[in-house]
Amino acid sequence: MKKLLCIALSILMIIGMLSACAPGIDKSQASYALVTKSAGNPYNEKEAEGFEKVMKAMGVPAGNYIIKHPEAATVDAQINVINSLISQGVSCIAIAANDANALSSVLKEAKAAGIKIVTLDSDVAVEDRLTFCNQAGVTQVAQALVDAVYDIAGGEGEYAILSATSQATNQNAWIDAMKAITASDSKYSKLTLVEVAYGDDENQKSTDQTQALLAKYPNLKVICAPTTVGIAAAAKVLQDKGSSVKLTGLGLPSEMAEFIGDDAAHSCPYMFLWNPIDLGSLAAYASIALAEGKITGKVGDTFTCDMENSPYTLTAVEGTTASEIILGAPFRFDSSNIAEWAKVY
Amino acid sequence: MKSFLRKLTGKHEVSLAIIMILMFVIIDILCGGTFHSFTNIKDIFRNNALTLLMSLGMLLVLLTGGIDISITGVLAFSGMTIGLMMKNGVTHNVFLLFLIATAIGTVCGLINGLIIAKGKVSPIICTLGAMYIWRGMAYIISGNAWASAQDVSGYSDFGKDGKIGPYIILGVAFILFIVMMKWSSFGRKVYAIGSNREAARISGINVDRVQIAVYTIMGALAGLAGALSVSIYASAQPNMQTGKEMDVIAACVIGGVSMSGGRGTVLGTLLGGIFYAIVYKALPLVGLDSIWQNLIKGIIILAVVVINVVTQRAMKRQNLARREI
Amino acid sequence: MAGKSGRTISATPDRSVLKRILSWEGALVVIFIGVLIMGRVLSPSYTLNNVLREMPKYLSEILIALPMGFILIMGEIDISVGSIVCLSTATATFAGNAGLPFPVVILVCLLTGLACGALNGFILTRWPELPPMIVTLGTQIIFRGIAEVALGSGGSASYANNADLEILGKKIGPFPIAFFVVLIAAAIFIVVLSKTTFGRKLYAIGSNRTAAAYAGIKVNKIRFIVYSLAGLMSALCALFILTTTFGANTTTGQNYEMDVIAMCVFGGIATTGGKGNLFGALIAGFSIVCLRIALGQININTQLILVIIGLLLIISVLISGITQSDWFRKKQLAAKQKKAEAAK
Repeated sequence: MKKLLCIALSILMIIGMLSACAPGIDKSQASYALVTKSAGNPYNEKEAEGFEKVMKAMGVPAGNYIIKHPEAATVDAQINVINSLISQGVSCIAIAANDANALSSVLKEAKAAGIKIVTLDSDVAVEDRLTFCNQAGVTQVAQALVDAVYDIAGGEGEYAILSATSQATNQNAWIDAMKAITASDSKYSKLTLVEVAYGDDENQKSTDQTQALLAKYPNLKVICAPTTVGIAAAAKVLQDKGSSVKLTGLGLPSEMAEFIGDDAAHSCPYMFLWNPIDLGSLAAYASIALAEGKITGKVGDTFTCDMENSPYTLTAVEGTTASEIILGAPFRFDSSNIAEWAKVY
Repeated sequence: MKSFLRKLTGKHEVSLAIIMILMFVIIDILCGGTFHSFTNIKDIFRNNALTLLMSLGMLLVLLTGGIDISITGVLAFSGMTIGLMMKNGVTHNVFLLFLIATAIGTVCGLINGLIIAKGKVSPIICTLGAMYIWRGMAYIISGNAWASAQDVSGYSDFGKDGKIGPYIILGVAFILFIVMMKWSSFGRKVYAIGSNREAARISGINVDRVQIAVYTIMGALAGLAGALSVSIYASAQPNMQTGKEMDVIAACVIGGVSMSGGRGTVLGTLLGGIFYAIVYKALPLVGLDSIWQNLIKGIIILAVVVINVVTQRAMKRQNLARREI
Repeated sequence: MAGKSGRTISATPDRSVLKRILSWEGALVVIFIGVLIMGRVLSPSYTLNNVLREMPKYLSEILIALPMGFILIMGEIDISVGSIVCLSTATATFAGNAGLPFPVVILVCLLTGLACGALNGFILTRWPELPPMIVTLGTQIIFRGIAEVALGSGGSASYANNADLEILGKKIGPFPIAFFVVLIAAAIFIVVLSKTTFGRKLYAIGSNRTAAAYAGIKVNKIRFIVYSLAGLMSALCALFILTTTFGANTTTGQNYEMDVIAMCVFGGIATTGGKGNLFGALIAGFSIVCLRIALGQININTQLILVIIGLLLIISVLISGITQSDWFRKKQLAAKQKKAEAAK
């Protein structure tokens, strides 16, 4: 028994030792952390890539920037990760929140510990962070999607939306904005939104939902999927069936390359996305600027960086005095540029 | 004739089939008669091919009184492995990739079997650990990336909508299992172990070896399902089919497989799997607000399990009463 | 395996079994200390204060591990606990936002959990032939489903008056309140299991349910109580989760059942029933919590943490499995004989 115990214990120690190869934090300098939404999604990985690139370029030592992909896309997992980062005493945390409210408690604790909070991709309550790196304005995204639906449907007809989960904050904001735009402009009066379906960002469920949309609405012209998993699953269904229904939405070029094209054999004429690598980079620059005191998170602050739209200015979030940094307009991917971008992200 | 009828109504499969036909008709009416179309039925099988395939292995495992909750972890690991092989241009040979995935699954299953049979570890714990391990490994090897539709193009033609690949695999697997469970000595041994392990041991059955074989077969099917998943969805993602192991187990139980072992048939498993598939397919179709779908799904599963028990009890009582007369 | 059917209701464990259990708990204590040392060596931030600060979030899971231990000892399983946590946080949040006083909110939360647990218990005792895993799978989907419907689109609600919740999140010295609650609850559960007839009945049911029923134990009544208890303790866990999330979310409590079962098993409770005790589960729970905190602080891949826990789980059970196996026993016997011969 004792022998076996020793074996078990030494295995434990070895695993621990092996995993401790990463260098520790150098406390004499500022340290940074990025918390993405979850592991196992290339979109998050690309954000991390951009973040890491900037950290290296700005000469932050390897132990002083930490990238954490929580084990699952839940607030539970994110709270654990942030707690751990508070213990380690990092100077600045950039986080893509899985829930706008539930992180409040732990972020207040971080703030009390003197940590500066930046959000990217999905915001939290404005009082819990200094600024938000917004990939693109909500109305900007919604407008692009509505125009795409309008264009592909030929100005009239039925369209449906295939979203992620019914709780996804970003998707819900975009869908609400889309509804507002179509309601307010008579140009879109001939477009009818038949259903918002939720594929839960699962392949099988997204496939079921897409097939259900096709079966339920024989006159459907366009499906709009503002989520990377949903759009790929829907594209596969439509393309396999050779359906006349077309697809647009938000997707990763590398995942969608197979499906984008102008002819009948491809299911998606064009779609949009911002560059997640740039979003990660922007979050990194904003973190550094905050830690070095170049910006404080107030509206009107500006900072320069080695990116396309530099210098960036902190603008006000609609209806509040809180600030956000907008990366740029969503980028359009079609048959002319998809091959090139598929290699990038 | 009468005794035949009595025999028939006493069967779990029959009561389940009746419930299913009723449900199918109701759904068909709710959908305005579109549910019984050929494409829809085809889609039901294709979208749930993974659950159906794995439920066969789970049948074996449950028959021996065990359980395997690591299957979707194994599925993700094998699927991710072949996805990465295609992404990195190792090979695009469909047959070879299916073989590799199945082999990976077989090894994972064999490890489970060895730990459970030789190490005397209870199946749920061993496979719980294995679930963490293989799912985690799928994430780790993926490096947080997917193998995209472009990476697996060509290969994914096998499971493309309209191709018969997945149906052939399903059909062959079910026929093989029916033959195996009915007429092979292996099938009889599995039932024997599940009914009474000690008696089986005493009667000369090598219990350990059968157990190892059972988990190995389960692993092989999970690996095969991994390859099939990549093919059907044209994408390999480390989180694929998370939590679906419970669907597989539930499908078996709904199909009348006893979780304490010894009882259950391939036909019942097939019916249970199809039941699950119909529920999945119908929920988005019947015009239910999507937010209610999970709740309804849970209620249906629970209701069917309970109704089945109630009807079984009633039939038993009736049969008993008849016998007394 | 063979010992399972051989155990009778009144029998006290024989010496060798007792010895084995004792040594497993001893081993757990050693592992626990090992984890703490490892953490301290690997991470400069692994200090008492930091560990205690991170702890409440994980600690609350131990609250569920206690009744789960009861259920596993009965040879059954409950995989709906995570969903009960989710639903309880939701009802508590709604109650709090409706302006009810905080004690009432606590009551609402606990009653929700109790009701959920009682529903599990009712179904399982009304139709005892139903497998617990499938029933609780059904209720798992249902409870979370209700929370999803209640929370509506958006899927989360924040607790407006979080000053109340902060009381529960307070610390006494460096120790969070949750820490004491866990210790008190653990003490009660351990005493109930080891010193009362109720506890002995649990072992009896786990060893052989039919035999226990013949021996006059009201099996269904006890099962009902235990499942209700699991619901209640899940709600208590939910209360402490609320202090860290300040609201409800549809993903709260996902996979808790697996974490909790892992704690119990790592603590030496066999899922086949009739074996194990809660003291081991408690130490195992703390070991896993401290290990997760340590691994988190050295920033290894979060998925790798799961792999390590999976490996630990299998290895720990494998060790006790191997010592029971025929092969190991034969070897031991041979060694003893050799010794005896040598002595001659």
